[in-house]
Amino acid sequence: MEIISKFKREWMLLVVFIILALAPVRHFLEQSMVTHMLIQLPALVIIGWLATNFFPASWKERIKEWNRWGISGMAFAIVIMLYWMLPRTLDAALSEWPIELVKFTTVPLMGMALGLSWPLLNSIAQGVLKLEFWATFMRMGWLYLDLPDRLCSNYLLGDQRILGQLLLVAGTIWAFTWMLRIVFGVNLIKT
Amino acid sequence: MSSTATTSDKIEYSEAENRNALIAVKAHLITGLLVFLLMMLAGFAMRAAQGTWLDIPVDLFYQIMTVHGVGVVGAAGLASTGVLWYFLRQYVRLSNTIVWTNYFIFLIGVVLILGSIFLGKYGGAWTFLYPLPGNSLGAWSTGSAALFQVGLLLIGTGFLILYLDFGRGILGRYGSLGRALGVTQLFGMEPLNIYHPATVVAGTMVLIVNFIGIAAGAVVLVMGLVNLYYPEFKPDPMLMKHLIYFFGHVFINVAMYAAVVAVYELLPRYTGRPWKTNKVFLAAWFAIIFLVMGVYPHHLLMDFPVPAWAAITAQVLSFGSGLPVLVVTGYGALMIVYRSGIKWNNTTKLIFLSLFGWAAGVIPAILDAMVTVNRVFHNTLWVPGHFHFYLLLGLLPMIIGFMYHLTGEGKEKAQSSATDNFGFWAYFVGCLMTSMVFLASGANSVPRRWAVHMEEWVTLAQFGAVAAALVLLGMLIFVFRSLFSLPKAANPN
Repeated sequence: MEIISKFKREWMLLVVFIILALAPVRHFLEQSMVTHMLIQLPALVIIGWLATNFFPASWKERIKEWNRWGISGMAFAIVIMLYWMLPRTLDAALSEWPIELVKFTTVPLMGMALGLSWPLLNSIAQGVLKLEFWATFMRMGWLYLDLPDRLCSNYLLGDQRILGQLLLVAGTIWAFTWMLRIVFGVNLIKT
Repeated sequence: MSSTATTSDKIEYSEAENRNALIAVKAHLITGLLVFLLMMLAGFAMRAAQGTWLDIPVDLFYQIMTVHGVGVVGAAGLASTGVLWYFLRQYVRLSNTIVWTNYFIFLIGVVLILGSIFLGKYGGAWTFLYPLPGNSLGAWSTGSAALFQVGLLLIGTGFLILYLDFGRGILGRYGSLGRALGVTQLFGMEPLNIYHPATVVAGTMVLIVNFIGIAAGAVVLVMGLVNLYYPEFKPDPMLMKHLIYFFGHVFINVAMYAAVVAVYELLPRYTGRPWKTNKVFLAAWFAIIFLVMGVYPHHLLMDFPVPAWAAITAQVLSFGSGLPVLVVTGYGALMIVYRSGIKWNNTTKLIFLSLFGWAAGVIPAILDAMVTVNRVFHNTLWVPGHFHFYLLLGLLPMIIGFMYHLTGEGKEKAQSSATDNFGFWAYFVGCLMTSMVFLASGANSVPRRWAVHMEEWVTLAQFGAVAAALVLLGMLIFVFRSLFSLPKAANPN
């Protein structure tokens, strides 16, 4: 039974990935900067992360040799993240199919790198990266809100500003839940 | 994992770990005190220049002012962290590697900052207040302003790593920061434990407040960098100012709350009476978390867009923030010392002096925090008067007193040498004079951050220069003591 359910879960991930890659869904999510950045990209990362649960142990062992303390994997993930934070790459993904293909390949790979490396990271390094990710949310939110120009030529200024507001809201909720957990031991989100 | 841990429940480390930790603490103290000495020299130079005794080009004056500000804040952070880390590691497991990591990151940050100031000519003050770093009118380049902010960012990251280790250690022993702070005891969820270590309470407060302050700094410094290289991005200057002051004020304010553990740990050793925690003590430390974070707007009272309600709130918080921990610490210290037969050596004299400096230094701060006074006083030398009082007579004596303790003063029961006595009095009188001259200048409307003073102000600046020379003399003796006695001293515990 367990093997069947594991098999099903693996397929479920693949099915979700395929659905996300289907032209109607892809176009629907990419028509707005908000859904593109806050739904499609995170979903691809999560799919990659969850996929690592189904990697055979031998693969994980082989990768671990090259990923001591999770450093190489995190460096790889950060490079991919930085690349997809560049506005022109998002624009290019919308207008050129090879770049879109690169996005659908590299972003799940980033999720895999995170999934394989995060547990190996020292707790101090996890803390530094968490704060840096949080600060990135706040910085990007502020930038999107205040910039007088459109960053992506495919999206309107209003869309950019809504994304900025949502990033700030998400960062605030994140900080609040983090504070509740560390200061008062209240776990709102189990991670 | 027990909140009923007594002060005797101390963490065991190996001999090698303890030896290495002691070297780390000494490195923090010696580096901090040396930087303080250099910054005092810079301060003396500025006062002498304002008093027309020294000819300094105006652009160099502002560079010296920038290095003086950032150097003192950095040294206060580093040295007070050394004090806190020394005691906190006795109650929660802390890593030597991490404390060294922070130390070396700090040094790299200092090199970048020094390069930005003396090679890149950055002179926009340590507050890097937007939009000044990007509007130098040719006095410094964009690169040097960026280098300054990257240096600060790096130093912030080093401290962040250290605080994460504090968090790991505290959570490992107490489960949540609330328990470590004694909040569960305060609200009756756990029985009161009078031996709950005051150092753990203070360390947890420092961790929470500085972590949040550094998070704000991480955002605002990067936004400043974006503006430097992409000037079309013009963030709201008031929001930038709020975040900068939140980060900067919290960081320097918390240095005092980190160093105060020297009072809690050393006075009991010299009086033979334990420092017991109670609900008032725990309540004061719990309240100060919020007050320290809410107090910085007293630097924004002169900004006309600040709404009246925000200015009034800032005034109320500023009135409140100085008091809770100061009262419980001052009262506790008086009670512990009264008729204890305490031996007055350099350590105890300095620790006691620090309580006076802290208590008296708060008074000009509270006056300045009144909206009506602030509108007249804030851009005068009154403000340097307040923080020089607070730092020279409050914070530094805690650090120097701890340094004397580490040299083994308590163990030897030796009398203070005449040189040390002279150093103490020169320092005390010099600091008092420095602060009072600043306050008197402020009360006479002498502006701050002016390289060249009008003729009517010159006499006050000359008094200030004499006072600064006295401070330098005292500090020189303390630094010599730290250089010659501290490296070879064994751990007094």
